[in-house]
Amino acid sequence: MPGSSDDYVRVMPVDEIAEAEIYEFEVDGEPRILTRVGDEIFACDGICTHEYAELAEGEIEDHVVYCPLHGSGFDLRTGAVTSLPAVTPLPIYDVKIEGGQVFVSRRPRGESGA
Amino acid sequence: MARRPVSVLLGAGVAGHFAADALRQAGFDGQVLLIGAEPVRPYDRPSLSKGFLQGQKEADALFFRPEAFYRERDIELLLGRRAVALDVAARRVALDSGESVRYDKLLIATGAGPIRPRLPGFDLSGVHVLRSLADATALREDLAAAERVVIVGAGFIGCEVAASARALGRAVTLVDLLTAPMGHVLGDELAAVYAELHRAHGVDLRMGRRVVELRGQGRVEEAVLDDGTRLVCDVVVVGVGVRPEAGLAADAGLAVDRGILVDEHGATSALDVYAAGDVAYWWHPTLGRRLMVEHFDHAGMQGAAVGRAMAGQPESYAPVPSFWTDQYDTTLQYYGYPIGWDQVVLRGEPSAFAVSAFYLVGGRVVAAAMLNRPKEHRAARRLVAARAAVEPAVLADPDTDLRALAKQLAGE
Repeated sequence: MPGSSDDYVRVMPVDEIAEAEIYEFEVDGEPRILTRVGDEIFACDGICTHEYAELAEGEIEDHVVYCPLHGSGFDLRTGAVTSLPAVTPLPIYDVKIEGGQVFVSRRPRGESGA
Repeated sequence: MARRPVSVLLGAGVAGHFAADALRQAGFDGQVLLIGAEPVRPYDRPSLSKGFLQGQKEADALFFRPEAFYRERDIELLLGRRAVALDVAARRVALDSGESVRYDKLLIATGAGPIRPRLPGFDLSGVHVLRSLADATALREDLAAAERVVIVGAGFIGCEVAASARALGRAVTLVDLLTAPMGHVLGDELAAVYAELHRAHGVDLRMGRRVVELRGQGRVEEAVLDDGTRLVCDVVVVGVGVRPEAGLAADAGLAVDRGILVDEHGATSALDVYAAGDVAYWWHPTLGRRLMVEHFDHAGMQGAAVGRAMAGQPESYAPVPSFWTDQYDTTLQYYGYPIGWDQVVLRGEPSAFAVSAFYLVGGRVVAAAMLNRPKEHRAARRLVAARAAVEPAVLADPDTDLRALAKQLAGE
């Protein structure tokens, strides 16, 4: 049900997030990552869509997360592939801030959750 | 009603796939025909020598996209057909099926084929090359029953197959005239690290040696080296490089020199005919010279750029070429221009298989290869893109903050 508190999970205090650093967390056992670019916080899947690799070991440059394994790049705002070899977009999660805490949607953007 | 324009893409590999996708994304609403010699839709070739050969990935997992992807975009797949003649005056391509296809714009993305040495015994059963899914399937079946594998050529394919065959528990001998694996691309310094890596995993390295003959009764039984050494084996894998599939273009009168000559938009010497990927010998506008690059990322990026050009949105294609290779538990990421070097600087710990190599020409970084150093990928790529002038001692110094250096020398 959109808007219910179950749709978001609390991750960490917003003031602990450093620019371009990557933070790992899990939702329902699935790895996710969180990062900050300027004033914006982004959350996406923690595993590359190309081959199994943890994006937490990768790098952030501008609005792109780069996979540590083969250099695939994904736009943090849309999940679109910006650098090959990945072909499939990366699932992106909505972020909201309440009471100084970062909350991330349980389901990826574009999925109704219904 | 006006006739719909037709874009024909010859070659259903990486470049063809990305060109077809880019044509549609750029709004081209004519007919798109993607014609491939192999009987399957575009797939991930780099996995063949690694995950697929080791049995961790099946063929179904290799396809870039489901069939529906092509159907939804009205991209017609004509598979299992090879182009046999091109008539640029008539704008027609003849296929080996007897069909003839008219085009308004044509992309030649026929790739490259493995070189097969004309040496005694290389036609025996049990002797493999590795390029296509069919090649990999045959090799995988043969490896399942094999005990001893001889690999001719310590380039990327040879080294990756060596690692995969060791993962399967086979005895592996790797033979090449090079002094160390992949030394022609990575340089002696980093190649020496790979020699240690393969030895540590039990590969019998025979560097500075050449296989002159294969012997056997119908099926290969031994490989003979140039010093007379005889190596007993039941499978041989030949990885001695590829040759661009440019014959069709040459026969049609297009300018060809090694590969099909194209400009920064992928245009050949013939009107409305383009080329991309392994088959193209392309002009890099900011580098100011031609390059041949036989790697996945380039094929995909150039295919996409040419697809947009065919749709009327040409852009200057000026990438930093890149590739990777995975062997055992290591990964190497390379960014750079394949134009040689006059100095190589190592950074990191070669003995721990965690080391980066920087390739310099006249004091400027023209390429970088990071073995198990993922946090240096982006900074190194920036230095390469800017062809930054860096003191070798600064690059080698473990206390140098590479990201700060890249920001300082290459800008934001």
